[in-house]
Amino acid sequence: MTIMENGTGPAPRTDAGPSGLGAYAAGVWAVVGMELRQRLRARGWYIMLVVWFGLIWLVTALTWASWKVQSSAQGDFGGVAGSAANGPGPLIFEAVLAFVLLFGLLVAPALSANAISGDRAGGTLAIMQVTLLRPGQLLWGKFLASWCAALAFLVVSVPFLVFGILQGGLGAGHILVALLMLAIELGVVCALGVGVSALANRPLFSIVVTYLVVAALTFGTLIAFGLGMMVTDGTVQANQVYYKNSYVATGPDGTVDPSQPSGQPELPQDITDQNDQFACYGPMQDQRAPRTDRVAWLLGMNPFVVVADAIPYPDRTSAAQQQYAVGAFESISQGARSAQAGPEATYQCANGKVAASYLSPQAPLWPLGLGLQLLLTAGVLALAWRALRTPAGRLAKGTRVA
Amino acid sequence: MEAETEPFTGLAAVGISRRFGAVQAVANMELHAPAGEVTALIGPNGAGKTTLLLVLASLLAPDSGTVRVMGIDPMKEPAAARARIGWMPDTLGVWESLTAREILTVMGKFYRMPKGRLPARVDELLDLVNLAELAEQKARVLSRGQQQRLSLARALIHDPDVLLLDEPASGLDPGSRVSLRRILRGLAADGKAVVVSSHVLAELDEIADRAVFVNAGRTVLVQTVGQAAAQGRRYAISALDPAALAAELTRLGVSFDAGKGRRDSVSVALGTEAQGAQLLADLVRAGVAVTAFAPAAGALEESYLGLDVEQR
Ligand SMILES: Nc1ncnc2c1ncn2[C@@H]1O[C@H](COP(=O)(O)OP(=O)(O)OP(=O)(O)O)[C@@H](O)[C@H]1O
Ligand SMILES: [Mg+2]
Repeated sequence: MTIMENGTGPAPRTDAGPSGLGAYAAGVWAVVGMELRQRLRARGWYIMLVVWFGLIWLVTALTWASWKVQSSAQGDFGGVAGSAANGPGPLIFEAVLAFVLLFGLLVAPALSANAISGDRAGGTLAIMQVTLLRPGQLLWGKFLASWCAALAFLVVSVPFLVFGILQGGLGAGHILVALLMLAIELGVVCALGVGVSALANRPLFSIVVTYLVVAALTFGTLIAFGLGMMVTDGTVQANQVYYKNSYVATGPDGTVDPSQPSGQPELPQDITDQNDQFACYGPMQDQRAPRTDRVAWLLGMNPFVVVADAIPYPDRTSAAQQQYAVGAFESISQGARSAQAGPEATYQCANGKVAASYLSPQAPLWPLGLGLQLLLTAGVLALAWRALRTPAGRLAKGTRVA
Repeated sequence: MEAETEPFTGLAAVGISRRFGAVQAVANMELHAPAGEVTALIGPNGAGKTTLLLVLASLLAPDSGTVRVMGIDPMKEPAAARARIGWMPDTLGVWESLTAREILTVMGKFYRMPKGRLPARVDELLDLVNLAELAEQKARVLSRGQQQRLSLARALIHDPDVLLLDEPASGLDPGSRVSLRRILRGLAADGKAVVVSSHVLAELDEIADRAVFVNAGRTVLVQTVGQAAAQGRRYAISALDPAALAAELTRLGVSFDAGKGRRDSVSVALGTEAQGAQLLADLVRAGVAVTAFAPAAGALEESYLGLDVEQR
């Protein structure tokens, strides 16, 4: 954003404060203060907080109760379940986290998307624009205020996340990373909402548009990824798969080779790679496979993927540990990462190599996804900044300045 | 023109045009508001007054034309110009959940006023617009006229050199109108350039020094109030015995017609105030019991009605 020159004219009673960045921040701060004051006096915000608290409490209680029932049932049958052994901590943590993110995505647009369109409808936007406030200060102030309001919801849910941690199985690092990522995601939605609200004329319209953008990020990215996978059908060099534990040799397309005798077949001669389950053998052929690596960025823009992928989990590639993902978030992260790795890494026997059932930590997907989200947000805010500039050139059809 | 040769102190706008789609809201308007005077902006609904004020307040870019605020071009140096402009919109636009004091304080911050001076300035303005007792009330509960007064205070917070007031008197009770008049005259006396748009012309007779009449986006007449008063105007005369009044007027050779007012009065067109005084003296001397002898309309109203304005 270009920053206009300070008014350096001899205005006796104004401009006497600090100059440059300090003055800019002071203006932003004045907007934040005014906005927060107004929000703190709105009863709706408190009601939403109470409802939120109740919902998260309910989610925690239900998760805990379901774990209790499960573990006692398993105890009766003498089974030793992995999750029961770990305690309910990870389960509660993930359930609360998922719900906080879900509710956060639902609440943040309501808190941000009428920030500027509401002022425009109430006739107070022009009053701010006629002062020494710059469009950037207005946007920053409105954004920070709505972000603060959204973060209050996160603060309310902290006790439940702590409860999850206290139940064992997780470290404090988890909660910090999770809270940080949730805060960032809420910030992205708030910024999008404020940007959209500067572009729209009516509050209702900007709120609906922001909800649509959030829906596009959460569901649209999944659908787009699915469709994109079909479009980007490609080929990968792979040879035959030999399933050591089954008694049938199948080609990579699943057809049973009738020439093979039933019963345990002999191991083929020309094995290129094998582990205790699979063996790859035979000459390389072009095999059709969706090039998920080309559309993984769509998946990466999903807020759930960003949060899930950013939360650390142990490296399970070493033989000592179980070789499958435990939690839902870990599964999401693994799924997204294998999409990003593409068929070269995940297609069985691609390039004659046995595909790992569990991907070792590689380049994570979330920085790309978050980067794209921030790019989108920056684009919307740049348009918003343009729309707030005065003296206004073109006006949107059917709007007055005042 | 002298405004061209020496720098004009006050607000000068020349050749302003602004179009909204198919509507030419303002076409080649001109307005000079000298410092130390109150300039009235008068015209029918839809004449383009609000649009012109938005351009002057640097909120709206004109398609063509130049604006100078105390010599500053708001298109080039918006910040410097805005520090000198106070704008009061015709819509109320208050932050409903903030108190009157908070609204004025935050406006002062937006204008980057020094923190130390701000509380005193806010108190001063609350006193000026007679809202000191309601300072801690939420703006939502203020009455329309009180909100209007708050809006005026808000425009004055940074002590601007140029004041642009869009229909400031609408919704004010008679007492508040009198104090608005006092405030505006006081500001003019302090050397501010004040531009007031209003439809209450009788009010403007008392407030304004000069008037700019606009119609259909054009400046149609520029007059000082002195000039307006000096031009011929109509007087309404009533007497205890209307028949005697009519007879005497006929005898004096003064043409008259039946007045439009509620009471039994006649209306007479007179060139100057001196002629009015002369006629009154003549009537009284002739023994007509005159009960009322006054201008039928204000000076500016007379000018306005003389114009062939069209509402759109
Ligand atoms: N943003 C806009 N888009 C389209 N037309 C507009 C816009 N703003 C003003 N107009 C039109 O421009 C003309 C002038 O409007 P303006 O508000 O300046 O009138 P006004 O003189 O202030 O009238 P009033 O006395 O009723 O306040 C009107 O015909 C109006 O419909
Ligand atoms: Mg108007």
